[in-house]
This record gives sequence, structure tokens and C-alpha cells, in this order.
Amino acid sequence: MSSESSKKRKPKVIRSDGAPSEGKRNRSETEQEGKYYSEEAEVDLRDPSRDYELYKYTCQELQRLMAEIQDLKSRGGKDAAVEIEERRIRSCVHFMTLKKLNRLAHIRLKKGRDQTHEAKQKVDAYHLQLQNLLYEVMHLQKEITKCLEFKSKHEEIDLVSLEEFYKEAPPDISKAEVTMGDPHQQTLARLDWELEQRKRLAEKYRESLSNKEKILKEIEVKKEYLSSLQPRLNSIMQASLPVQEYLFMPFDQAHKQYETARHLPPPLYVLFVQATAYGQACDKTLSVAIEGSVDEAKALFKPPEDSQDDESDSDAEEEQTTKRRRPTLGVQLDDKRKEMLKRHPLSVMLDLKCKDDSVLHLTFYYLMNLNIMTVKAKVTTATELITPISAGDLLSPDSVLSCLYPGDHGKKTPNPANQYQFDKVGILTLRDYVLDLGHPYLWVQKLGGLHFPKEQPQHTVIADHSLSASHMETTMKLLKTRVQSRLALHKQFASLEHGIVPVTSDCQYLFPAKVVSRLVKWVTIAHEDYMELHFTKDIVETGLAGDTNLYYMALVERGTAKLQAAVVLNPGYSSIPPIFQLCLNWKGEKTNNNDDNIRAMESEVNVCYKELCGPRPSHQLLTNQLQRLCVLLDVYLETESHDDSVEGPKEFPQEKMCLRLFRGPSRMKPFKYNHPQGFFSHR
Amino acid sequence: MERAVPHAVPLGQMEVFQALQRLHMTIFSQSVSPCGKFLAAGNNYGQIAIFSLSAALSSEAKEESKKPMVTFQAHDGPVYSMVSTDRHLLSAGDGEVKAWLWAEILKKGCKELWRRQPPYRTSLEVPEINALLLVPKENSLILAGGDCQLHSMDLETGTFMRALRGHTDYIHCLALRERSPEVLSGGEDGAVRLWDLRTAKEVQTIEVYKHEECSRPHNGRWIGCLATDSDWMVCGGGPALTLWHLRSSTPTTVFPMRAPQKHVTFYQDLILSAGQGRCVNQWQLSGELKAQVPGSSPGLLSLSLNQQPAAPECKVLTAAGNSCRVDVFTNLGYRAFSLSF
Repeated sequence: MSSESSKKRKPKVIRSDGAPSEGKRNRSETEQEGKYYSEEAEVDLRDPSRDYELYKYTCQELQRLMAEIQDLKSRGGKDAAVEIEERRIRSCVHFMTLKKLNRLAHIRLKKGRDQTHEAKQKVDAYHLQLQNLLYEVMHLQKEITKCLEFKSKHEEIDLVSLEEFYKEAPPDISKAEVTMGDPHQQTLARLDWELEQRKRLAEKYRESLSNKEKILKEIEVKKEYLSSLQPRLNSIMQASLPVQEYLFMPFDQAHKQYETARHLPPPLYVLFVQATAYGQACDKTLSVAIEGSVDEAKALFKPPEDSQDDESDSDAEEEQTTKRRRPTLGVQLDDKRKEMLKRHPLSVMLDLKCKDDSVLHLTFYYLMNLNIMTVKAKVTTATELITPISAGDLLSPDSVLSCLYPGDHGKKTPNPANQYQFDKVGILTLRDYVLDLGHPYLWVQKLGGLHFPKEQPQHTVIADHSLSASHMETTMKLLKTRVQSRLALHKQFASLEHGIVPVTSDCQYLFPAKVVSRLVKWVTIAHEDYMELHFTKDIVETGLAGDTNLYYMALVERGTAKLQAAVVLNPGYSSIPPIFQLCLNWKGEKTNNNDDNIRAMESEVNVCYKELCGPRPSHQLLTNQLQRLCVLLDVYLETESHDDSVEGPKEFPQEKMCLRLFRGPSRMKPFKYNHPQGFFSHR
Repeated sequence: MERAVPHAVPLGQMEVFQALQRLHMTIFSQSVSPCGKFLAAGNNYGQIAIFSLSAALSSEAKEESKKPMVTFQAHDGPVYSMVSTDRHLLSAGDGEVKAWLWAEILKKGCKELWRRQPPYRTSLEVPEINALLLVPKENSLILAGGDCQLHSMDLETGTFMRALRGHTDYIHCLALRERSPEVLSGGEDGAVRLWDLRTAKEVQTIEVYKHEECSRPHNGRWIGCLATDSDWMVCGGGPALTLWHLRSSTPTTVFPMRAPQKHVTFYQDLILSAGQGRCVNQWQLSGELKAQVPGSSPGLLSLSLNQQPAAPECKVLTAAGNSCRVDVFTNLGYRAFSLSF
């Protein structure tokens, strides 16, 4: 503070022209500024170390003077005041010096500081500059890299290769002389060419578009024309109907059938197509028709989803509900069963006409959920048939088509996948429903083109035309032979029941003129009864007596001798012969177990049946076998050696001409009839 | 009583016909090969089947080992009798005797070596040959059958040397009496005749049906089977099975068997017989029935004992008759298994 005030004072003393009435600060500043300049200059001139010496000297002087003043004051005296005054003035001068020195020191300090500050500022400025420059360098570097990485759009275009370019481009674009040397020019030229080509192509495109529009318009016009034609044609067709009928060319009918056929499910459709084709090409006696309601078929258009899954869900729901639901559960199960066994509303009907005007009507159904086909058969004859009792099963719809192919009994579903479906609704086997639904024979599936590989449930079995076509002819022929043989048997049975063996004239040569043994009985027996007979065990053991066969019992008599014959009639009659097993009751019971000759008789009828087939189609086999049986019984009884120990004549005198009565180690009787000589010999 | 019913196989026409054939097959004759390992069987359709006994008896026998190795059509008519020499199989049936080489047959080459027909008197019907007999000392074959004569054929040259006449009805069976050598023949006329081969004359006649102990008129008088042990002879058929002492022509033992027997043979100290009825009967010489072993056929027509020294492991008794099966008895006590056509 004192230095400041001294600063203020000093400028007052030294400067005389200073402005006195301004604010203190301003004044001091300007004064200071004025002073600053002069003191500044002084500072530069003086040597700091000398000033320091001066300061030390001054302080010393002051101290001495103070001490002298002290001395003087302490001694007291009159001189003292003058001396003190003198000394006080000298110390004031020293004080002045001190002050000046102080000021100088301050000024020096300030100067030093200012200089430092300036230098620092410079350094800062340089530093900033450096930073700026560095920043700019970085920026520029970035820019450079950016520029270097720059990909021009033109590089994305796939230009044609150089050779092509030079070949194709017109010279004013390619400018070979210039571009060969300069890649930049070359690229430019190529881009030019590209542009040219694109323009041309765009042109072409526009032209094609306009062409297309034109053609579309033409098509529209023609379409309209055609659709206007349709009603006219319809009216012509209508008008021609009477003409068609007159000429017996029912095109319209066929057309309607094809229309309905479009709604058939695939297997039925395959059957329909193949059967119609076969009928037209090979067999005029076959006629095909479609029955059923087309509207219902249309309503079924949505394919039946897994109704079984829905059922199982609803099943679970029901089980959770209360007791009062239970009584209806059975009914619902029934409904589910019905649903599973549902038939497609359309069915295909085939009519096979045979030579004697009897007709076999086959109706084919398709079970949608099970993906199998079934058939119902009916035989109608030209004249009313009186059915003999034993012939009940021959033409019955249930069994007339059984085993058309060996083993095809039609009681089991041929689709292995159905078993899983059945388990869900509790159906054990299809056998219980065949009467209602028809039989799912294997040949029916084949005619519909459905092929089920054994024991491997396939999810999608689709109807196949080639499968159907390959089986059509054989199956139709088999069906016809089956119907005809059954009808023949039917007639024969009527005769057999009356005890007459109907031998046709062209088979008479197989038998001698006189046959004494007579057929007295011909009845059907049940399968179980046949199995229980004691003399049929061999046949049963060989597996020839299945439940698809028909069984009959014939009784042949002569005098006291009774011959029982159990007959197995295979559905494949007459290609598979009926099998006879005999039991003779005469002087004891003789069967093939205890009498070699009975065995030989059976062999004559069973093994040598081919001689008895008669003219094709060998419908006479059964009746010839029966007649032969009668002849054999005759021979047997007449050639029996007479027992000398027993009284009386032989019951059956020998009337047959035989060369020898016994032959061979088994002592066989002569069962073979020789035509036309008419004698009996051994095989 | 419930019987288990076999599953009915779907049968086509061919299978049904074959099944019927097998059902009505009768095997008339058997013969063992010289090496003892194979058995030939002839049936009523004229076929001969060769079974491999060694394969069927071995421990690894499968079902196929019980089927024939090879089957061929030998004759047009039934093969009533067969006999084997040390290289040939001779088979006879409808009037002819044919020879086959065993070696060839085993290689499945079934072509006959030669065939001969004895000179028959009648030409209306070809008589069958029911029995063949080998006479090793003379190297000849004796045939007998439907024409009531015994024909003797030299095996080297194939000529028919002599015909022995005497029977009034056809001949069923022959037996050889080694020592003398004499041939015994039994026929439908109920007589057993002994013939001396050197003199070609009938030496002895036994009319069995005239003896009360053994005759059974309700069965007839025919002699179906013969076997001889030089001093002794056993015969059966219509009359009961009886053991005879040849020199005195007296029946010593009558075997109480009701069914007519079709084949009889001596074996060790037993007599084996078979005929109508399933069983092979074993008799002691005293007349007691030692055992009755049932077979699989309802009636048996031929028994064969394989005593070939070359194959002792195949020493079995085989029986065949009114079926397509040949029963094999390894031990006389029971039926081991059956071979089948």
C-alpha cells in the first residue's frame, strides 16, 4: 500500500504536466503510463545487482541513522533535536531511495512477468498453429483416401469385353486410335457404346410392348366371337338329339356320362375310364354306367380331412364331461363308425352280358375315408331261375365272386393303413360290414388302380391307370367264366337233387352204357360239418378245406351198398377241380384208411380229373366226376372176390368186362374205363 | 374235441393239383444204393425219387434234407419193384425192367442205361412186374408178375434164359434160398412154389390157404409177402402171417395179426412185418409180438433195411406205403422222422 501511494505520489512530483482532476485510477493509469515509460527506460538502464547493493547500503544507513537517533534521543540534549532533524531528513532521503528501489524492483518484476507472458503467448500461438496444421493434414489425408477409394458408378456396369467392343462399336464411338493408348478415353468410349446400345434396346422394348398390346386386343376380339358361338352350338346339339336317337348314336348320353364322371373320386374314375375303353375296344358285351347323386358329390368337394383326429378330440372332450353324457357315447361311436365307412355318393355300374343272356351286374363303390373300393354283385338270368336248395350259395351276392383269384376272399380290407383307423373307432374287421358295403376284393382295388403294398401302410395310394388296364381283360374274362360256371352248376344242382346225374351227350363216351349205381342224395353241408367227418381228415390236414369253399354231400347207392362222398367245391371251379372223399358202407365201413381200392377210386376222380373235364369251358366236370363215381362203385362191387366160406350167390354179379380183376402188390381193381372197346383195365 | 385247423393257403390250380397228387401217392418200392448213403423210392405215378440218407440223418439236417435230391419220371406206370446191384439200380413196373447207373443218378443225370421186356405170352394187356430178385451166383435177375411166370435174365447179356411156369394167377413176391439155390415165389393163387434154378423145375408147392391154422377165407387166399432163411420161410397176405419149416412143409407158428401183411423180412432174431395198418410189427420167432411201432402212412407196402457195410451210420429201417412219405426208423423202437416226396 505504501508502495502504491508512493507510486501515486511520485508521478505528482516528477510530472508536472499531469492532468490532476480525473478519476484516481485514470490519472494513475495515465500517469503511470507516462511514468511507466520513463521508469521503464530507467529500469533498462540500471543494473539490478547494483540496485541491490544500493538497497543493502541504504538499509544499513537507515539502521545507522536510526541507531544514532536513538542514541541522541536517549542522551537527550539540545543539539539533539537539530541532529535528529538532520538525521531524520537523511533517513527520509534514504526512505525515498528505498521506495524508488522498491518501485524499480516492482517494475522489473512486472517487466519480467510481462515478458514471460508474452513468450508464453507466442508459444501458445505456435502450438495452436501446429494443432491446426496437424488437423488439416489429417483432414487432407482423409480426403486423399476418400478420393483414392472412390468408385465411379461406371465400374458397376458390365461392359462388353474389349474385343467385342472393338468389333461391334462403330468407329466414331470406338475411336480406336485414341482409345487404344489412353485407358481413360477407352473407358469413356466404352461407356458411350453402352449408352448407345441401351438406347437401342429400350426402343426395341417399347416396340414389343406395343405389339403385345395389339395382339392381346385381337385375342379378346376372337374370344368374344367364340363365346358368342357357344349358345348357337348348344341349340344345334339340341336340335340334333332326335336325329341321334333315330340313328342309334347316343353321343349325348356318352357326353353326359363323361360330365358326371368328372365328379367321380380318382379310383372310380380310373375304373370308369378303363372299363369304357375296354368295352369299346375288346368286348361289346360290357356296358358301363354311373349311378348316384352328382349334387352330393359336388357338395363333398372339400376333401375329407382327418375326421379321425377331430373325433379323437371330441372323444377326449366327452370323457371329461359328466355322467349324463355316457348313454349317448355308444351312439356317438356308432356315428363315428358310420362316418368312417361312408361311401362316395357316386358309384360305377358294370354290366357283363354272357352268351346265354344272363347278366352280371357289378356295382363299385368307393369308401372315402378308407381309400378302398368295394363291389356288390348280382346275377340276373334271361329266364326266371328256380333255385334248388343246395344251390343257395352258388349265386348269392355274398359269395358268387369269392376267390376269383386264389385267396381273394374279400372279407378283409386290403389297405393296411385301415387297421389303425379301425382301432380308433372300435371296428374289429370289415367282415361285419361287407354285406352292406360290398366286398373289398383285391382285384377290385386293382381295377381302380389302387395298389397297396403288403404290410406297409402308405399314406397316399393314388389311382394308377396302367395297373387297372393290365388287369382289366383278365378280370373280365374271369368274371364271365365265373358267372357261367355258377349258372351251369345251378342247373346241374337242380338235376342232381332229383337224383339224376346230367351227363351231356358229348361226355357220354367217358362212361359205359349201363350204370347201375344211382345218386340218391345231394345236399350242401356246412364247413364245420365237413371238418368233423372222420374220412375227410387228410384233406383238412393238407389245408385244402378252407372256409371260402362250398361243401356238399352226395350219396350213391346200389343194393345194400351205400357210398358217401364229401365234396369240396372250390370257388375257382372249374379250373380247380372239386375234391371227393369217400366212405363206403358195405360189409363194414371202408375208407381210404383201410381200403386201398377206395383210395384208388378217390384218385380216379380227384387226380385224373382232366379226362373228365369235357369240352371247354369244362362246366361238366362235377357231373362227370359224379357219374364216374357211380361207375367206380359198380366196378368195385362187382369185382369183389367171392368169399367161399359164406353161403349164397354174390350180391352183385359181374357184368363189366374186365381183363384182370386184380393187379399189382395192392391188388387194385380195374377202375379205368376204355372207350370205345368198353372194357375195364388198370392204370 | 377241437382240432387245430391248419391255415388254408390260397392255392392256385397248380398247387391244388400237386397237393392232390401227393395225397393220392403210393410208394411201392424202395432200394438202397450200393454205398448205403442214398435211398431210391418208386411211386404209383412212375416216378423215382432219390433221398440222401446221410444228409437226412446228419445233425445239421434241415427240412430240405428230407426232400428228394432228385426226382425223375422212370416209367409210364407204377414202379412196383426195385433192386440194386453194386453199380446199377434196376426198376420194374409196367412190363419193363429198366436199369440206371447209380453214379449218374446221383449227379442228376437221369437217363436209363437199358430197358428189357421179357417175352410175354399175351399181347392184350401188358402184365406188370411185381418182384425183382437178384441171384448173385449166376449174375442173373429174376422177374415175376402179371403173366404168372418167372423170367430169368442174364445181367451181362440181357437175354432171357428161362421162364418158369406153374402159377395159375399172378405172382406177388419172390425170395431167394441161398444154399440150394432155389427161388420161392408167392402168388395170387394162394400157393408158394419153390423152383430149382439149375433144373428150371418146380421143386415144392405149399398151398397155404389149404392149411386151416392160417387160412382166412374172408381175406382171400393170395400170398402177398415172402421171406426165407434157408430152412425157414415166413409168408403172409390173405392168410395169416405164418412161419413154415420148408423141408416138412408144415406151419410152425402163426402170428396173430389180423390185417393182411404186405412185406415181411427176417432181421437178426426177429421177424419184421408190415401191411394194412400203420405199424411195423416186430415178432419173436416164437410168435409173440415184441413191438408195434406206428408209422405215418395208413398202410405200408415195403420195408427196407439198410445193411450196406460201407455206411454204418445210415443203418436204418425205412418203411413206405399208402402215402407220399417214407418213414425212417433209426432205432427199431420208434419212428425218427419221415422223408417225403
